[in-house]
Amino acid sequence: MTDAGESDEALMGLYARGDAAAFVVLYRRHEARIWRYLERNVRNRATADELMQEVWFAVARDADRYEPTSRFTTWLFTIARNRMIDSIRTSPQQVSLETLGYEGELVVQQLTTEPNVGPLGAVVVRDQAAALRQAIGQLPREQRDAFLLQIEGDFSVEEVATITQSSFETTKSRLRYARTKLRELLSEHA
Amino acid sequence: MNRVPPSQEQPEDVDDQYRRASALDPSRPSEAVRRAVLAHAARLAAERATRIEGSKTKSTRTAVNQAWWRPAILGTLAAAALAGLMIAPRFLVEAPRAQGTRPNTAPALVAQAPDTRAEERAPSAPALGPERTAKPGASTRNADMLSHIGGARPKVDARASGGAAPVAAESALVAPRAREEAQSTGAMVGSVEASPQRAPSNTFRGTATTAVPRISEAPAGPAAAVRRAAEMGDLSGLQRLLEKPTDIDSRDAAGRTALMLATLHGQTDAVAALLAYGADPNAADADGTTPLQAARAGDHPAIVAALQRYGAR
Repeated sequence: MTDAGESDEALMGLYARGDAAAFVVLYRRHEARIWRYLERNVRNRATADELMQEVWFAVARDADRYEPTSRFTTWLFTIARNRMIDSIRTSPQQVSLETLGYEGELVVQQLTTEPNVGPLGAVVVRDQAAALRQAIGQLPREQRDAFLLQIEGDFSVEEVATITQSSFETTKSRLRYARTKLRELLSEHA
Repeated sequence: MNRVPPSQEQPEDVDDQYRRASALDPSRPSEAVRRAVLAHAARLAAERATRIEGSKTKSTRTAVNQAWWRPAILGTLAAAALAGLMIAPRFLVEAPRAQGTRPNTAPALVAQAPDTRAEERAPSAPALGPERTAKPGASTRNADMLSHIGGARPKVDARASGGAAPVAAESALVAPRAREEAQSTGAMVGSVEASPQRAPSNTFRGTATTAVPRISEAPAGPAAAVRRAAEMGDLSGLQRLLEKPTDIDSRDAAGRTALMLATLHGQTDAVAALLAYGADPNAADADGTTPLQAARAGDHPAIVAALQRYGAR
């Protein structure tokens, strides 16, 4: 019986035995995080949508081969990252958020329609969100990837290093540079 | 180069800012992606469930065919019959000598034959006994293994005894459930569970459930049409609507989603379909009432069970 309190690993086990509800719970649990990781990395909604579908298709397909030796999220984000790298390799000339512009506006519009945010709050949120997205977009790719992995996947430096197949020190530096740069960019905005 | 090496001072300020902005960011993948993913997953789950059922049946047959006691019993019987054939003539010859009458030999022979047959049956009964009593034990282990991730699949004949019922119940729950979900995703025909307990559809509940809203008259758009089909329990209509990219969790003026409305009206099948399509099981209405609370208040145990399976709190 699927339960909201089941661990990710237990849900994967249930799904591997044919319990579709377990997958729905798992998907709902991680949808936003994986989406943000992909979309903020590739900075294109259509590409992020494609990747999102590929990632979750892969999770569903390989469920019976999944062994809970590491956290489910490590496995999930590794799949997401690999798919993203493949996508970048096959189509390096991706249309970015900066060149499109309106996509950022679209997200910002969505933010302002959030019912819990008042008119003044909406302006603040819109401002902050736009600034943050812009700042993240300005990070070098490796730094952005490491930062988004850590914050969206809630990973330690070691785990980020494992997923990105980099050394601990390199990962630590990337994360440090990413945060410093973000801080600078955001303070400029403020 | 006067570049200052990056420091780790106050790393949390950026993280906090990021998290605050993300928490308010409703950006999500498109509905089409969500549908495609969930439909694909449901299809694979149904295939897996069928495969597991198949392998279980096969392994049961194999276990029965390869039972160790069959050749053992046959061997014992053959040896007993041979011994009987060798020993019986001696008695047959000696008995008349001792007693001088033949009539007694006949009962002896007759008695021996049933004894042999009795012996033939006797070992088989205990042999069956341990086998059958062993199976519940194995089934218990397999039931444990079922709940263990990546465990071996059960190799047990759940029909063998009553003790195997948990496994049978578990597998019976898992497999049809997945099939039903695939159906409700694809063909929208099955309900998750306990369809017989389904509440009557299209009925406005007056006194007992005063919180049940009146069914809306004219849906204004696709999202409103989904809500109306859900509360009416119109499965075919719901399927048609959900195949198009519509916001499944859109709300009416009172903040009620289609799932909430289906729950309030006791539409078990509609609830199952909406959940399989990825409706948020925890989407509360404007008063903060969740679908699970509404299902409990409306005394819809089948809906409560379905909601819980999809992670409702």
